Amino acid sequence: MKKNYVIEAENLSKIYAGVVPVKAVDEVNLQIQDNEFTAIVGPSGSGKSTLLNMIGGLDRPTSGTIKVNDILLNGMTDNQLINFRLHHIGFVFQSFNLIPVLTAKENAEFIMLLQKVPLQQREKRVMSLLKEVGLDDKLDSRPSQLSGGQQQRVAVARALASKPDFVLADEPTANLDSKSAFNLLDIMARLNQEEGITFIFSTHDQRVIDRARRVITLEDGKIVSDEIR
Amino acid sequence: MIGKIAWKNIWRNKVRSAVVIIAIAIGLWAGMFASAFVVGMMNQKIDSVINLELSHFQVHHPSFQDEMLPKFVIPNSEEIIQKMNNNEAIKNTSPRVVAMPMINSANYSGMLKVTGIDPENEKRVTDLHEFVLEGKYFEGIKRNPILLSKKTAEKYKIKIRSKVVLTLQDKQGEITAGAFRVVGIYDSKNGMYDEMNAFVLAPDLQKLLDINHDVHEIAVLLNEHDLAESVATQYQEEFPNLEIKSWMDLASGMRFMVEAMDVYTFFIVGIILVALLFSIINTMLMAVLERVREIGMLMAVGMSKLRVFKMIMLETVFLCLIGGPLGLLLAWICIQYFGRYGIDLGGASYSDYGFTNLVYTQLDMMSYISVTLMVLGMAILAAIYPAVKAINLIPVEAIRKI
Repeated sequence: MKKNYVIEAENLSKIYAGVVPVKAVDEVNLQIQDNEFTAIVGPSGSGKSTLLNMIGGLDRPTSGTIKVNDILLNGMTDNQLINFRLHHIGFVFQSFNLIPVLTAKENAEFIMLLQKVPLQQREKRVMSLLKEVGLDDKLDSRPSQLSGGQQQRVAVARALASKPDFVLADEPTANLDSKSAFNLLDIMARLNQEEGITFIFSTHDQRVIDRARRVITLEDGKIVSDEIR
Repeated sequence: MIGKIAWKNIWRNKVRSAVVIIAIAIGLWAGMFASAFVVGMMNQKIDSVINLELSHFQVHHPSFQDEMLPKFVIPNSEEIIQKMNNNEAIKNTSPRVVAMPMINSANYSGMLKVTGIDPENEKRVTDLHEFVLEGKYFEGIKRNPILLSKKTAEKYKIKIRSKVVLTLQDKQGEITAGAFRVVGIYDSKNGMYDEMNAFVLAPDLQKLLDINHDVHEIAVLLNEHDLAESVATQYQEEFPNLEIKSWMDLASGMRFMVEAMDVYTFFIVGIILVALLFSIINTMLMAVLERVREIGMLMAVGMSKLRVFKMIMLETVFLCLIGGPLGLLLAWICIQYFGRYGIDLGGASYSDYGFTNLVYTQLDMMSYISVTLMVLGMAILAAIYPAVKAINLIPVEAIRKI
């Protein structure tokens, strides 16, 4: 019987054109199931960010197909992809994650506003998410008033606010000190275990790799190992 | 939410936003003030032309304007005047006798246009009586009084009660002369007009010209300024043997001047708007370029291009909504102030060309609205390029920008 995958990539390649074309991702086949806590690792230039961007509908593959919950992303227009990301994918970036002029609460609420979620529902969810990430006492703080770790926790709350199919986190701990990084990972691991949220990281960070239940290693755009723990 | 972000975004760089707000305010002020100055100047010129020089339209014998000979009188002028005075559109009429005599004082001689008037009738058609500086408006001297301008009096070195002699050709072409005594000296502030015109009583000039009670000119003042051309045309059709022309056609170059002033205003406002356009493009482009990563992130997490476009446009609209009323208020205050006290252009050069040296700014409500809409429209137009630049960002590339 065929399994239901959240993400299904088939022969996925990305070639950057130039004087010397660069094959960033090379014929990758990848399936990710619901509730996974997966790290995509590899040295710089191995293609992990490119792979993550294609999975998230931020970049288009040169060849191959990519499906999210059986919906084919290939062939979608820019606007369709933006709308798809809004409703299906949560993002946590390495840095510059939040809107500087909005408070923590407004940042967490932002995606739901774009989704036109009614006010009461929005208030309830944003309060519960900020409580989950331990920032219910920083609701009215602007990003500039928060530490790097706190900002990333607001970003996690925002990524989850839209009830996405999965969350993509690109080097989420890269700019954090150890304590903040562990704190963030604890929160994400708890959300994964208790609420079944699927997390996919691209990372070099051993702290993230140690916590992952599946580690996919890329080298020169190819998967060289896929370890399930 | 987009509005809230846009509003907060404009206060991220307060100095830059202040520069745009000031640019919009000054642009609006400059556009309106330049228009008010030109409109004021033109309206004063038109008022002068209508209320002093020509009235709304004039009736002449078809050959009189070209040849200025005494024999070209208006036939049946009393009947025409009576008919015109029964027309509700017409406020008043002033029959005039016109001659181009030599004028001789003890010190100087030269040529002037001398108009014979009925002082009471003339009062109801022109403002001449209001400009008398010395002496009286045809009071105090019973026999052959003459009203001269200050410029003429200075040029001919004559004073009140001085005697001047007018030498001219009568109806038969015979040379005749009459002595006149200066009853008053006027100054209309329109140098060109003052230099050329003197006034006497119509019967005195009629006697000299030997034209009985005939007149050469009927000046007609209407109740409504805008009816000048249509009423003149109507009477021209009724009296095809006479020449009836509106002030626009009588004052040579006036029609051209009105149109040229419109073009001049258009260019002035246009130049201001173009400067404003580039100032806003530059500022908004900077605001977009320094937020490339943030805009990339917004699009990555699902903010549509339309919403990003709206956000950038709203930022400009908000800046306009602050700068616009400021500029409007500033313009209104200046226009009101200079509308009351005038702008002194100094010197006599403007007066020599028939303009007053003291310009009172004026602007009607429609011009306030149209200049405001033009500035706001230009500001919004200026925001389009930066907004398009923002929506053309590729999220995956934008979020990697340093």
